[in-house]
Amino acid sequence: MTGWSTSELMAIVMARAFDDGEVVVMGAVPALPMAACRLARATHAPNLEFIVGGSGTVSPEPDRLPASSCGGDLAPAATTLALPDVVLLEGRGDAFDVFCAGGLQIDAHGNCNLIVVGDWERPKLRGPGTVGLPFLPNTRRSIIYTQSHTPRTFVEKVDFVGGPGHPSGPEQARPYRKEGPTLVVTPLATFDFDATGRMRLSTVHPGVTVDEVLAATGFIPAPGPGPTVTPEPTDEELGTLRAIDPDGVLRR
Amino acid sequence: MPARFLDPEEAVALVEPGSTVAVGGMQLTAAPMTLVRGLIRRRVRIGRLVTSPSASLQAELPIAAGLVDEIVSPYVGFEHLGLAPAFRRAAETGTLRILEIDEGSLTHALHAGAGGIPFVPCPPGVDLTDIPRVDPELFRRVVDPFTGSEHWAVPAIRPDTTLLAGAVADERGNVALDRFPFTDREMALAARRLIVEVEEVVPAGALADRAPGTTLPSFLVDAVVVAPGGCHPTEYPERYGRDEAAIVDYLQLAKDPAGLEDRVAELVAESEDAYRARRGGTS
Repeated sequence: MTGWSTSELMAIVMARAFDDGEVVVMGAVPALPMAACRLARATHAPNLEFIVGGSGTVSPEPDRLPASSCGGDLAPAATTLALPDVVLLEGRGDAFDVFCAGGLQIDAHGNCNLIVVGDWERPKLRGPGTVGLPFLPNTRRSIIYTQSHTPRTFVEKVDFVGGPGHPSGPEQARPYRKEGPTLVVTPLATFDFDATGRMRLSTVHPGVTVDEVLAATGFIPAPGPGPTVTPEPTDEELGTLRAIDPDGVLRR
Repeated sequence: MPARFLDPEEAVALVEPGSTVAVGGMQLTAAPMTLVRGLIRRRVRIGRLVTSPSASLQAELPIAAGLVDEIVSPYVGFEHLGLAPAFRRAAETGTLRILEIDEGSLTHALHAGAGGIPFVPCPPGVDLTDIPRVDPELFRRVVDPFTGSEHWAVPAIRPDTTLLAGAVADERGNVALDRFPFTDREMALAARRLIVEVEEVVPAGALADRAPGTTLPSFLVDAVVVAPGGCHPTEYPERYGRDEAAIVDYLQLAKDPAGLEDRVAELVAESEDAYRARRGGTS
């Protein structure tokens, strides 16, 4: 099917990556991961549940995609967790399956940084802060998504680790580490990770060349079997997604 | 003892200059803006500002007014509307001391403050970040006496004053929170002094059927300020939405640092009654 937007493709790619029965958590600006979760629920993963940021709402289905993670438009949901209960469960480490996260910087090992570009003491750019990203390695796996695929976003090593990715050296033994980041979704491509935890180019979106992706990436991805072309949205996927997003938030 | 009903000016006069102030609400929802504007009008210096896991204008505006020495916050920003200009600039120019913390450590530290627990070991996760490295004041190593394993720990947080937005107070000053609780209850229970702005007052006894966990008894509440629509421009769910145009106006205004403190002072100069009337609503 043609006529889809890049954000719609990203939501569809994320939706395909969810398994039935998984419990997904997400943070601020939830429209994209929330659309992906609802699409997954409406198609192959009817038993997926998702928690929207500070609201603690569980699998809310508002008429339109919300801009904020804490707004009243997320209510009513079938159930709602108080935020401190979400924090407890994130700490417990066996309640949630997938953490959807992003960053001002994302590095070759899937570390995320929402705190600072440059030195922490003398920032070039101060970001908003890390919120719940330290819990990333405590969730079974994570999916990283960003609307910004540039060499400034995709760096060899983040200036500040606020959301831990895969360990990148023997000094970083991580006994409780689970699967870590498994997928990265951008407006140009998708990445997965090799056995050493380094990002590798998995698919390029239709109409995008491998050279364009590499030029927009500030590190050299690990070699892998790919890349292939990201499968285009099916009529069913796009139709279902547009029913979830009648205002076209993902088409702007 | 019943809580006192005060006007915003009287209520913020209770806040000692230079003390630790916690502000409730999360992201663009239920920020106690009437109380925050009152603090700025009075130019009350905030020694340490503690926020919920994600703050917007309730942290940004006092910083823009030049009134905050230190901040403990996992996030100051405006979600889809962008970064917090004064917070960002203060961090980049070194005029604001930032005590870096994450959502989990903050929530547990508030819980510890509420319960008289001196410090709390952090759950897994933050140990794999750079946060403890840059914040030796809040993050220290402890040994688990049961297993011998080492962990990061954070001290209990006990705000001198917590400022919250609630839905209603009854005539005795019992308060009900009508929405997502965020960490407002922890901030209330940990506070040495609690000031709550509410949308309306209801008769004594009218909160009797509220579920536990959604109310705060008047003996915990030092002052109630009746402020319909008082969270503006943030929203109060099921009562009024966000005024995004007003938020965007502020973000524009704050782009230029020159004279910003004066422009913020102008922004909050009028009384809450006048502010409400100018917005043209009962809310």
